[in-house]
Amino acid sequence: MECQVALTGKGYVLVAADTVAARSIVKMKHDEDKIKVLGSHLLMSYSGEPGDTVQFAEYIERNLRLHQIRYLQPLRPSPAAAWIRRQLADSLRSRSPYSVNLLVGGYDIATSEPHLYWVDYLGTLAHVPYAAQGYGSYFVLSLLDRYHNPEATLEEGIETLKRCIAEMEKRLIVGLGKFKVKIVDKDGAREIEL
Amino acid sequence: MSDLMAHPYHQYHPQQPQQRQFNPYTENGGTILAIAGADFSVIAGDTRQSEGYSIQTRYAPKVFKLTDKAVLAVNGFAADGNMFVKKVKQRLEWYRHAHSKDMPLRAIARMIQTMLYAQRFFPYYVYNILGGIEEDGTGAVYSFDPVGSYEREACRAAGAASALVQPFLDNQIYFKNQTPALGSAHPTHLPLRHVVELVIDSFTGATERHIEVGDSLEMYIVLARGRSLQGLEGLKDVRELSTPGSNGERLFVLRKPLKRD
Amino acid sequence: MQINGGSVIAMVGKNCVAIASDLRLGNQALTVATNFEKVFPVTDRIYLGMAGLATDVLTLRERFRFRVNMYTIKEEREIEPETFAHLVSSTLYERRFGPYFIEPIIAGITSPAKGSKPFIAGADLIGCLNFAKDFVVVGTASDELFGIAEGLWEPDLEPEDLFETISQTFLNAVDRDAFSGWGAIVHIITPEKVITRKLQARMD
Repeated sequence: MECQVALTGKGYVLVAADTVAARSIVKMKHDEDKIKVLGSHLLMSYSGEPGDTVQFAEYIERNLRLHQIRYLQPLRPSPAAAWIRRQLADSLRSRSPYSVNLLVGGYDIATSEPHLYWVDYLGTLAHVPYAAQGYGSYFVLSLLDRYHNPEATLEEGIETLKRCIAEMEKRLIVGLGKFKVKIVDKDGAREIEL
Repeated sequence: MSDLMAHPYHQYHPQQPQQRQFNPYTENGGTILAIAGADFSVIAGDTRQSEGYSIQTRYAPKVFKLTDKAVLAVNGFAADGNMFVKKVKQRLEWYRHAHSKDMPLRAIARMIQTMLYAQRFFPYYVYNILGGIEEDGTGAVYSFDPVGSYEREACRAAGAASALVQPFLDNQIYFKNQTPALGSAHPTHLPLRHVVELVIDSFTGATERHIEVGDSLEMYIVLARGRSLQGLEGLKDVRELSTPGSNGERLFVLRKPLKRD
Repeated sequence: MQINGGSVIAMVGKNCVAIASDLRLGNQALTVATNFEKVFPVTDRIYLGMAGLATDVLTLRERFRFRVNMYTIKEEREIEPETFAHLVSSTLYERRFGPYFIEPIIAGITSPAKGSKPFIAGADLIGCLNFAKDFVVVGTASDELFGIAEGLWEPDLEPEDLFETISQTFLNAVDRDAFSGWGAIVHIITPEKVITRKLQARMD
């Protein structure tokens, strides 16, 4: 029942993920952070096989950091997403593939543009204006089809995001509790309260 | 017991329940197609009958004359198809004896629906397309699924190559994805000659790309009462089935060879 | 092959070729993106289209870019369409027993030295080449594409007529396929230039 939503607006990307760590029918944790800050202007939310998720996210995090140390500048969103995709694509045909689905949001300081990428465990990469992963996507994507506006201000974007979260709360059989929301814009990546 | 112990375990096969299954259905390939005009209807099918990669016969009709103004094309499982046509014809004969007239097309369509749905839980494995002339003199096509859902349409393809033919028809009959020139509109009905050409093109195309389609094309053409031969003259391979000179609906059949490979 | 959906077609005209793909990227029945192009330039006059598993479409796009760059550097000349087709074939056959789940289409014009002739080819997922003289199709709408292309295509179409033919063929085919559609992109390749146009399509 893991769910993640993300959307772009005028100069920002909002990423929201549920905070439940579940095993079977038991909620083990209610404050799990499933959105990693991968750099000054890069966010990645992850879901999938428990164990794989954190392992993979940390692998990505450390390698992007290594890149920044080596080359004295971070990867921009597009090459970062392409590299992350490649890790999953290579992993898919390895002996033990990661089953991790991602939403990668970033703000490109060079072009002043927000970018959002939908990535699945196969290594499929899509550059999208809004995206969702998990069962929530079946409700949320149609809402975003209707309400998403690439020119929306942050207030309007948050309003749309709230609609999405409310819909998941209403329609999914298991409540997902609180959502953690992070934003990335020209000022960098940070967490916000709804 | 000691007898069993004497054998290595891998030679010991205990009696296990065995399951056998009889599959009452097969697919016999082929494709059918019907197009309605303003005052005519064209119903066509290829004549190849196959099972798997084998051709059973190069001439097995799939299109049948029901009445002077109704033609039924049946595609899918040939045995079911032939039986179904037989039963439809029987019901139409009873109707004739009871009412001293042929059953109207829309009534045949509804009857086919009830006959198909009667077999809802052991269906006739066939797609039906009924073509002919309505009581108001318009050309009509009715298409059915195996359990009797049906609809009146201007054109329909069914069978093995339906996926190949239907988009072509969408484009050429319904003018889908085409915009008419400014101030004009697409015609709702096409002339007979044009329709015949489209049917021939559809089948030569399907024959080219689908292994279950070919051998020959059999096309029935029903003309409304009082309609001229307009569009049929000069066409080769056409034979009239109705009595020439009778003032009812007229029925023609066009037979044309298709590629046999 | 039906996880992500998508279709590609290429056609030959008079001194020109055309190649088109749809824009849908799906996850089973759910449409995830409607801007996912499946045709990529290889050189100025060769285009490669791929339909099938989207992750492999992306991976192979990267691999072919790498291999074509290596060819260009080593040979100090641009690759010919036919050579590229064989490169595609051998790249796919390398994975004979654990294939990439895509079917490629190559469309291009040979170099002026070879007469600027139109060239198209298709292949299956393990690289069995098909040098068609008329058109090649791949993807979830391949049956529909075959049927309608067989009806609409004719030899020696001029670029603009070829554009109309491939566009009508493609749009009407994907409209009967649930896994393809949501717009299309068409490239017309002539010896002088490449014309690229996006097509609006049904969104259902």
